[in-house]
Amino acid sequence: MTRYSLAIDIGGTFTDAVLLASDGTSYVDKTLTTHNDLLEGFFRGVDLVSARAGIRAQDIDDVVVHATTVVTNALIERKGPPVALLLTEGFRDILYIREEHRYDMYDPQIEFAEPLIPAERTFTLKERTYADGSVGLPVSGDEVRAVIAQCREKGIVSVAVCFLNSYRNGANEQEVARIFAEEAPEIYVSLSSVIAPQMREYLRASTVAINAYTVPITRPYLTALIAELKARGFRQQPLIMLSNGGVIGAERASTMPVRMIESGPAAGALVACYFSRIFDIPDLISFDMGGTTAKACMVQNHEPLVTGTFEVDRRYRFKPGSGMPITVPSIDMIEIGAGGGSIASVDDLGLLKIGPESAGSMPGPVCYGRGGTDPCVTDADLVLGILDADRFLGGDMDLDLTGAQSAFDTLGKALNLPRNQAAWGVFEVVCEQMAAATRTHATERGIDYRGLPLLAFGGAGPVHACMVAELTESTKVIYPPLASVLSAFGTLVTPVQIDLVRSHVTTLDALEWCAVDEVLGAMVSEGATALGEAGIREAEFTFSFAAEMRYLGQQSEVRIELDFDPRKTRSTGDILALFEEEYHRQYGLKLDGMKVEIVNWLVTAAGRQPERAAVRAPDGSARRSETRPVQIRGTAQDVPVWQRASITDTDRIAGPVIIEERETTIFVLSGWEVSRHESGSLVAEKFAGKVAAEKEAN
Amino acid sequence: MDGVELQILWSNLIGIVSEQARALQRIAFSPIVREAGDLANGLFDEQARMVAQAVTGTPGHINSLAAAARNLLDNCDADSLQPGDVLITNDPWMSAGHFFDITILSPIFRGERIIGYAGSTIHHSDIGGYGIGSGARDIHEEGLWIPTMKLYEAGKPNETLFQIIRRNVRTPDALMGDLGAQVSSGIIASDRLNALCDRYGLDDISELSQEIITRSETATRDAIRKLPGGTYHGASRFDVPGGQVIDLKTAVTVDAEKGEIVIDFEGSSPPSSMGINVVPAYTHAYATFAVRSSLNPDLPNNAGSLAPIRLKLPDECVVNAKYPSPVNARHVVGMYVPFPILKALAQVIPDRVVAEGSGAVWTIQISGKDRAGVPFTSSMFNYSGGMGARATKPGISAVCYPTGVSAVPVEVLEATYPIAFTCKELEHGTGGAGKYPGGDGQRIGYHMRTGRTWLLNTIPSRLVSGPEGLLGGGDGAAGVFQINGEAIADTRKREMQPDDEVFMITPGGGGYGAV
Repeated sequence: MTRYSLAIDIGGTFTDAVLLASDGTSYVDKTLTTHNDLLEGFFRGVDLVSARAGIRAQDIDDVVVHATTVVTNALIERKGPPVALLLTEGFRDILYIREEHRYDMYDPQIEFAEPLIPAERTFTLKERTYADGSVGLPVSGDEVRAVIAQCREKGIVSVAVCFLNSYRNGANEQEVARIFAEEAPEIYVSLSSVIAPQMREYLRASTVAINAYTVPITRPYLTALIAELKARGFRQQPLIMLSNGGVIGAERASTMPVRMIESGPAAGALVACYFSRIFDIPDLISFDMGGTTAKACMVQNHEPLVTGTFEVDRRYRFKPGSGMPITVPSIDMIEIGAGGGSIASVDDLGLLKIGPESAGSMPGPVCYGRGGTDPCVTDADLVLGILDADRFLGGDMDLDLTGAQSAFDTLGKALNLPRNQAAWGVFEVVCEQMAAATRTHATERGIDYRGLPLLAFGGAGPVHACMVAELTESTKVIYPPLASVLSAFGTLVTPVQIDLVRSHVTTLDALEWCAVDEVLGAMVSEGATALGEAGIREAEFTFSFAAEMRYLGQQSEVRIELDFDPRKTRSTGDILALFEEEYHRQYGLKLDGMKVEIVNWLVTAAGRQPERAAVRAPDGSARRSETRPVQIRGTAQDVPVWQRASITDTDRIAGPVIIEERETTIFVLSGWEVSRHESGSLVAEKFAGKVAAEKEAN
Repeated sequence: MDGVELQILWSNLIGIVSEQARALQRIAFSPIVREAGDLANGLFDEQARMVAQAVTGTPGHINSLAAAARNLLDNCDADSLQPGDVLITNDPWMSAGHFFDITILSPIFRGERIIGYAGSTIHHSDIGGYGIGSGARDIHEEGLWIPTMKLYEAGKPNETLFQIIRRNVRTPDALMGDLGAQVSSGIIASDRLNALCDRYGLDDISELSQEIITRSETATRDAIRKLPGGTYHGASRFDVPGGQVIDLKTAVTVDAEKGEIVIDFEGSSPPSSMGINVVPAYTHAYATFAVRSSLNPDLPNNAGSLAPIRLKLPDECVVNAKYPSPVNARHVVGMYVPFPILKALAQVIPDRVVAEGSGAVWTIQISGKDRAGVPFTSSMFNYSGGMGARATKPGISAVCYPTGVSAVPVEVLEATYPIAFTCKELEHGTGGAGKYPGGDGQRIGYHMRTGRTWLLNTIPSRLVSGPEGLLGGGDGAAGVFQINGEAIADTRKREMQPDDEVFMITPGGGGYGAV
């Protein structure tokens, strides 16, 4: 019998819906996001795809997965309800003092994001826990009650609690939560010792503040979603995509919205992992380029790289350090301010610069004809002939070629280059920026990026991926099908998974295994509860362990994946060996005789990788034989133009070639050859690389 | 070379050094490197001109490194360099102004030929001698002096030198770890530069380097030519540990024809008997920083962008240290160097300068024995006062200028040493009033939990007079340093009683414009 699973991805502009049948048939649709009531768009999407498939809600008996930007939007718009912050007395200004760091040494005009919770809604309590976990001063119930009274007066609906050293012992925070639950059950309480039990008070406070700020938005939203799905006859509790590349039950997710922030991009990275398995290519780079930013993620051994800390809402020129830090596990994403709407300009030195300023979607590039006057990356693509003014979005949106051309005349004058060379320059420089960001990101993580295949998606990704591949010395680019709803699809190939982190600082030679048992035991049972809630059977639970370690005296940790349960092996020697190996891989160094310290323990609790059928490629369509002139490196060439749906498994198409589909355009350079893979993906491979590989095989 | 090709190659060069700098920062043992980014990575052309520099670090380091490559090569047999050679020095006059800073320089070969050099300077955790602070009476008391030497010759370590270094520092393992990281960073930079040449079919980088340096110099000169010519004066006065008052005076001459700025320090305080004297390279570093960050902060740092800014230093002057003056805590004066220059520039480009701020960060070191009797010595940790206000924005609280050093989190310190903090909050009202107020300083209190006596070494400044407001803005408040509620002036290495409470308020920043 056919089973159906459903994915809904709510983005800033569109809500994407994917319905996947167990035989691989897929039904996709897009509808406008309904910002006033997101559920309206959600269920419109559900209705659209169900109607296409001719099924009813109760036929969707496999998972319902949801990814959403609701949390990120709330943070950027700052329209949340009033929230309070409870801190240890004497440390009132943690969110204002931050790390005392000026993130750009040279720029005296830098700015920081205003704290999410202002001073007038910050309270301090007489309480103290020391670094060894001992409680020097317990919380006073009367003082908490006094705070509750003030919260009520100020109309506070949610509080964040971050006491010093609570990562080591959360008893004082728990006591606050207990009294709030008794006296003011209507107020949401987020504890830093639960949300992010890690050392470093600013990071923890920032994280729990973000959680408290968004809980009043996500709790009612997800509760209503659960109720509405039930009312419509859906059998399953919905699963929510988290930033770490896993999904989790909606009930649990609603208490930890800070873990949902990167849920859309994480889903994109998960698609890359999915295709890395289909193609049996363990290591690749996912490359997603949209209107304002490009995102890339390194996939290693079919898994995305994960980071412990990232930043949201960069307020000053997209600069790292100008936003709010969050310390929860998240897909490790390279994000650079270079998208289709990024503006090209010429600086004082006569150099061509792109971004970080973006024309966004309003007014957008010049060619959108909505009043934009600055030449953008998309304008360059149009001037070069890579895009066709009459076929953008399948012809639904007319592009203004003349406007774009005249913008490039102006830019060309400033560069002392003809229009077409200026446009090619923009194409080249934006690709180089992405390649450079990828090189730095990979090198910092000890990964040799050279030759790693690219998986390209997003509106502007397939246009630029082949050029980026040239610059990262890659010889293969994969263009998956369903590019326009790929993130939604990604949530369906994502396992149920939660990543937990807990600081427990100790040198390896002084490690006490009973303490480790306690820490890891608590994490494992928390993970198991979360998996159970998401409907996973106990037999399918898997737990993997990792540690963040460093040489004693260092400040940054190296993440060590343990392929065993350290509680069972109880061997510090094994852990040390893995640390030394990883450290050597990343930095080319091994330091003999130095003590090694464990800072954080990490546990990943996961269900099985879902084995849903691969999406079937779209049906073929009639071939049209045509060409159009494209300005490549300043010279016009007649480039064949193909419709993606007309390409069959036996076609071998030599570049340069343009391949059009409704939502995007693939541009493949000369020296590359395109073929179609059984998954429906198109694959571009570089000749030289291919010849060499064949020779090797022979 | 057109604006497209140059942009691509140039950003590649900066990428090479930035990658290396960030890797160094992550693996450094030296706390000042990992927290403060007190390091510099640079790439030099075959003529030893700096062509690219990592976008990290503090001004003191990054700008001193610019001259270091030339200095090192002038002090060795440069013609005989071979692949696998690595040069080293910590001579204060050749690189960053005190022994803690060790500079490593590696020639980059492409085939048989040197096409450039990779250099790095980092502040190491110890270099023997006096340790942290300004108490040494001459430079030889301050630690181990490493002249320009080969640390590696054709890939072979100089064991004699390694042994001498090991035996003369307090934390040999950490220093060797950091030195090793510097050497490996040079090797990687060399690989990356060769890969770049392969990718773009270059035999060397001389044409590229010339283009970068010329364009940068032209852009800087053009920016200066837009300013009204003339000589503008600015002065800054501040007190250092022990109460000594230092005056820095500058006459900033804008030559709008040549597109050049000359900064003359005539009239500034004479050399000090304490280790706060500043070598010319470090003075140059902070002086050029003041000009560049106001004039064209987006232009990358290299030999060309620095060339149009020149210094004149009086012979007998605290910012022109001469052998054998002690220089260990040169940052205490060096971090004030930008302020008189900014005050002079305020008469020319008032919209782009920053009002006087708290100046040098306050640094602290504690040592003793824990409750169980195990000895500990902390790393140096530091706290900021308020930044001065800008023309259209307030000063940022608890953030330093001209450095931008991070503070070690309270929880990290408490987990590492037997210290307990009683408070760390903003001290409201310490920032000067103004159309835009200065940033506030902070109140910070702590004690030990050992039940034993302990040692405290603090380097505060501005305990007497606060930073001056700019263009009618109010002054920031001076700092406070107390033990058990009593103000203390001499803060150098003090023996402390078990229950002593330390309390301090860092200075606020100056305001900008009248209220």
